[in-house]
Amino acid sequence: MIYFFDGSKEAFLCALARAFCDDEAILTSTNAQLSMGQQSIFVAADGARAAQIEQRLLGFDKNCMHDLDLLLRSGDAWRDAAALRYFKFLAEKKRPVRDMLSEEAVIAATECMRRVSYEVHRFHGFVRFLECASGALYAPISPNHDISDLLVPHFRARLPQCPFVIHDVKRKKAAVYDGAHTFVAPLARAEVALAADEKAWQSLWKNYYASVNIPSRERLKQMRGYMPVRYWKFMPEKQLSPSSPC
Amino acid sequence: MFDKQVFGVYNGGMISEEKLHILTECAKYDVSCSSSGSARKNAGGMGNGYIAGCCHSFTPDGRCISLLKILLSNDCVFDCKYCMSRRASDVPRATATPDEICELVVDFYKRNYIEGLFLSSAVHVSPNHTMEQLLLTVKKLRTEYNFHGYIHVKGIPKADPMYAFEAAKYADRMSYNIELPSEKSLKLLAPQKSRESLLVPMRALAKEKQIFKEEKRKGYFLPAGQTTQMIVGASPEPDGQILRLSQSLYRANGLKRVYFSSYTPVVQDSLLPSVPAAAIREHRLYQADWLLRFYGFSAEEIADEGENLSLELDPKCAWALKNMHLFPVEVNRAPLEVLLRVPGIGARSAYKIMQARRYTNLTFEDLKKMRVVLKRARHFLTAGGKFYGENRQEAVRGLLVAAEKPATAVQLSIFTGMTEAAQSALYGEL
Repeated sequence: MIYFFDGSKEAFLCALARAFCDDEAILTSTNAQLSMGQQSIFVAADGARAAQIEQRLLGFDKNCMHDLDLLLRSGDAWRDAAALRYFKFLAEKKRPVRDMLSEEAVIAATECMRRVSYEVHRFHGFVRFLECASGALYAPISPNHDISDLLVPHFRARLPQCPFVIHDVKRKKAAVYDGAHTFVAPLARAEVALAADEKAWQSLWKNYYASVNIPSRERLKQMRGYMPVRYWKFMPEKQLSPSSPC
Repeated sequence: MFDKQVFGVYNGGMISEEKLHILTECAKYDVSCSSSGSARKNAGGMGNGYIAGCCHSFTPDGRCISLLKILLSNDCVFDCKYCMSRRASDVPRATATPDEICELVVDFYKRNYIEGLFLSSAVHVSPNHTMEQLLLTVKKLRTEYNFHGYIHVKGIPKADPMYAFEAAKYADRMSYNIELPSEKSLKLLAPQKSRESLLVPMRALAKEKQIFKEEKRKGYFLPAGQTTQMIVGASPEPDGQILRLSQSLYRANGLKRVYFSSYTPVVQDSLLPSVPAAAIREHRLYQADWLLRFYGFSAEEIADEGENLSLELDPKCAWALKNMHLFPVEVNRAPLEVLLRVPGIGARSAYKIMQARRYTNLTFEDLKKMRVVLKRARHFLTAGGKFYGENRQEAVRGLLVAAEKPATAVQLSIFTGMTEAAQSALYGEL
């Protein structure tokens, strides 16, 4: 049986409960290929039922909802399967399983969570803010995983006087800090009026980037390993110009 | 939003493109770029420390950009043979004002280009004048511009120690570069510097930091400690001697890191080699340095005083081959410090093994699933009493050499900021 759910935590918990005794269960929030004779069902979110299941699971491991939050943020195709196996395993063992690092269910889920947290860490460095005429900061990003709101506390702590928007252009949503509160809002497109000297600072930054490089020690593969090309789109220093081809 | 009331008086004006280029060009050979080790809090302005460190970009040479690495001036009165800013060299000279630097830092930081400032300088006018200018800049940045991000300041040899003590109250990290591993080489290649002029302030700062801690004084005093750097391959000292020096710096002076910089000829001089030192040597030194700091090895175990590290084998493999009588060890019982000595098992794998074996008896299949790399480790491990490696020492040696990726020869800066950050994040050691 294939259990479709909408990707939310509540729907996942309801689907988990339905799929728990089904060894052939496939849980998915994306499109799945149905094979011949296979049945499918759409599991809707039911708040009361989900809360019940959440309480049961918290009884086994008080930190497990944090794991689920990370797993459901993943943009990897195998995340639903990994989450299902992990929580089934948790429910079987009835105790925290996080450290049972030789169990396949734990290995897959740990890897999935690690990729999400690692991208958060990377984006602490790779976010590039543009200064707007109003003084607010705006950063477009297109991460693999749904992490825009996880980035906010980091920047809020270091720029407490400054409102900023981190715009996930892929998922059409924005994490906003307005100087006092943070919230997430849907945002398809943003019109940004840049501050007068924004271009000049960008140009100085590109100049710095080119000057600090040691051309005789070129290691392009290593650079791309640490900073994959998919992240370059919104980095001023990686926008191609005739003088700096890489 | 970052108006003048909050962030102080902006009166330096934007630094010119040319000046930035000249002052960066001369600073780029300094290896240190890590921003880890400081958890400085934001106190009503901009910025804070990020204990694990953070890389903001990577240049085509594979190194990370974490800090804005810049000189206050490249107009030098010293004449160190290996340096491109030395007095005798014919290069364009520039000197920035403290305000130019401060504004650059604040504006780069707010756009999230950088994690902080790495401020160095050539010896401009005199050591005291230079150190005074460096101090003025960091003090301004902290107090007038209200900046609480990471600051690394270079110490200038032969300056009055009071300047260094004062700067340490504002900086997160300071460093005096040892430059060359022996007094003799230093005399030959950097005649105005002496071993004492570098080690004395280093020790004084370490002592002052200890007093600061013991008296529980308010504020910060070098929360991320001190580092140093030496050039490898410009002078004849063997690796064994370099590692002993590093070890004594870690033990006696409480240094956080010793950086090695493979010699690159940027100036011609009859006293200097004309070819660059092999990158692989620097790589092996860093591997050995990691063994000293994170794996419980001592310099004496890794190499004899007059000996160089093997270029074809990493130092841990070389040590294990000399000590085959200690292996194989049982993966389900060996204590952490023994696991860490198994070639191919790093800190992360050792941690995974320690966790997993509390719940089950590990087999080789389990280790594979857990992505513990067994290419080298299998010759030194048993799992549940089973051994899958090679018994004969000569054969093991051949297999280990073959297991070395040829690519290691180019992994020059694999141990820059990024890896340090990852390591310290994992173990909270820095």
